[in-house]
Amino acid sequence: MRAGGVWQRLTEGVPARALAALAVLAALLLAAPVLSQLLPAGDYWLSILILMVYFAYIGQAWNIMMGFAGQLSLGHALYLGLGGYIAAALYANLGVGPWLGVFAAVCIAMLAGGLIGYLGFRFSVAGVYFALLTIAFAEFTRILFDHFKWVGASGGLFLKVEPEGSPFNLQGSPVLFYYVILVLAALAFVFCRWLLTGRLGYYWLAIREDPEAAQAAGINVFRYKMLAVLISSGLTALGGVWSAFYYKNLFPESAFSMGRSIEVTLAPIIGGLGTLVGPILGSALLVGLGDLFTTMAERLAEYGIKAGGLKQIGYGVALLLIVMFRREGVWPWLAHWLGFDRHRENQP
Amino acid sequence: MSNTIRRAGLTRRTLATGAAAGAALLGAPLPLRHALAQDKFDLRVAVLLPLSGVQAQIGQACMRGAELANDVFADMKIPAKLDIMRYDTESSADVARTQAEKAIASGAHILTGAFDSGHTMAVAQVTEQRTVPLVVNIAATPQLTESGFKYLVRNFPTAPMLVTGALTLQKDLFAATGKTPKTAVLMSVNDTFGEAMMKAIPGLAKKLEMPYEIVEVISYDPRAKDLSAEVAKAKATKAELVMPVSRLNDAKLLIQEMVKQQYEPMGIVNPGAPGLYEYDFLKTMGKYANFHVSNVPWLNPKSPMTQALEKRFAAKYKDGHLDINVGFTFEALLVAADAWLRAKSHAGTALMEALRRTDIKEHVTTGGPIQFDSKGQNVNIRAAAVQNLKNKPTVVLPPEFAIAKPVFPMPGWRSKERG
Repeated sequence: MRAGGVWQRLTEGVPARALAALAVLAALLLAAPVLSQLLPAGDYWLSILILMVYFAYIGQAWNIMMGFAGQLSLGHALYLGLGGYIAAALYANLGVGPWLGVFAAVCIAMLAGGLIGYLGFRFSVAGVYFALLTIAFAEFTRILFDHFKWVGASGGLFLKVEPEGSPFNLQGSPVLFYYVILVLAALAFVFCRWLLTGRLGYYWLAIREDPEAAQAAGINVFRYKMLAVLISSGLTALGGVWSAFYYKNLFPESAFSMGRSIEVTLAPIIGGLGTLVGPILGSALLVGLGDLFTTMAERLAEYGIKAGGLKQIGYGVALLLIVMFRREGVWPWLAHWLGFDRHRENQP
Repeated sequence: MSNTIRRAGLTRRTLATGAAAGAALLGAPLPLRHALAQDKFDLRVAVLLPLSGVQAQIGQACMRGAELANDVFADMKIPAKLDIMRYDTESSADVARTQAEKAIASGAHILTGAFDSGHTMAVAQVTEQRTVPLVVNIAATPQLTESGFKYLVRNFPTAPMLVTGALTLQKDLFAATGKTPKTAVLMSVNDTFGEAMMKAIPGLAKKLEMPYEIVEVISYDPRAKDLSAEVAKAKATKAELVMPVSRLNDAKLLIQEMVKQQYEPMGIVNPGAPGLYEYDFLKTMGKYANFHVSNVPWLNPKSPMTQALEKRFAAKYKDGHLDINVGFTFEALLVAADAWLRAKSHAGTALMEALRRTDIKEHVTTGGPIQFDSKGQNVNIRAAAVQNLKNKPTVVLPPEFAIAKPVFPMPGWRSKERG
């Protein structure tokens, strides 16, 4: 397909104002490290932005499975953990750089995803039972890694801090990590749009809405569900690699935890399941609100009011409000309100 | 929907204006509130702890040590006043990192924390990049001082130091009381900490030529609601010593079940884990909490500074007691204040240079003077045998810190000595 053809496919049906808004957002994000330095506490705002982009990226990866193909996974921490552990262990133990290690990490995460998908889809384990299967895999992988000495077992895997580190080793300042995750998030966005506007995307939508009808219409449901889980697990593992090198430590207890899996799901659910902008908006809302609640709790503490759980309560209330008033997430409502969906009803 | 919005008078413009104003009001000034505050303090120290989330209870206990610091400094005539900035890591490495950035942006000169090794590692990367010193209060993983950080010191034992100290003290306990168990059972939670302990203890017991044989290692889930099978298994081994590597709630379950099954070993001696000395354990278990021994770094009851801390603690808090969480967090602040007094500068490099040359003889925990080796580790920390006597953790060994004699073997569950 020619470049012009790809561009046409990606932008077809998107109103000009939406494209313009997207361009402005992209420009702002590109310039963010420079712009943040103009603000007081610039490094702090950059660290918040990094979290936003990271959760947008992994939310996008999860969205492929649940939002596009309708397969509920509550064990995505498995792919994050596997990706991170494999690339970090290869680097720490064998000196294999992350840019090479990432291929092994993605392949192994995809294998794990493929195995779960095969078991689930081949034996018709669907809905909540499929979700339980994903949780079970994450949980026993955690136990396995708790005893896996090569990756530090329960004591954790630590990456050495390299003051002279270079981008080739994914070692460097937060600005480096920001641009790496921004590129990943942008590529994931474009890739998902490309998938959704093609045959695969329409098959997924058909499967999501009614798998039996999709099967009756001649769609190989097993095959396309498998593709969803493989793509989603591979992309999530990429996020895991980034996270491992950013934080430089991994513990099975947190890397494969249920809490981590839930974190992955929140941004797309709040932003808008099955939409492309949903994970980005959801992540911005969650990280932004989370930080606001944290700061408010700190401020209250200065007056002797202990409100340590304010963020969790705030999250709970936000989810409750979304479930009650915006069941499809914030983005579909916002897009409608901004007039971004005026030219393309029923399209992602 | 849009009609409803219009009727309510809400337009895109008003929403955008409102959002911008709200953000400016609520968000932007907050990280700078300390930086903008009038400077009435000598040094700004950010304390990063898990004040909410799964580690909240311990984080809040640690925070008490920081909250008492200025009062105790005044009592001890230490001429330093710290601006203590609280930051909640929410039991998450993601948050710990952003909170470290926020603390530095707010003008913190030194950071302390962060209780959890993973969170501390995340914070350490920020302090390293920003050349702001980090004084680790509690975090046991050796990698923190093996990773080449130049702006980090740790006043807490590493995991191998904890276990070695705990087992060595067991020998001292047996020697002091003239009673030596021949067999032992290790009962441990199977979380990260417990797994590491289960791996380390049997090997170290052989290396240190412990007088007993570990006949069984029993692991269990720290969230277990019933430990009857595990205790029955331990009882069947007829082990004379029980070594629990526990957390708080499972420690309660373990003792309850031992009482129920009338399993009375010579003693219950914790090889460097929490649980048995904690306030909630002592309060809940009553007389059954007594006579258990925890071999952990503890507060030196003979130190005048500990006594001042204890007095301040009792005056300020109606619940809880002084423990290592309070002690080591207080000491992190003491280390920071001491560095400032010698550096007389807020510059990270000058403070770090002063931290490297720390030599604090008068402090609160058991051990020699606080000094850091070339990697930033205080190697002078010593464990103490802390026995619950009259429902209070009491140092019984080593003799230089002890204020009571150890009781071993422990009296039976029905013994009148329990009260």
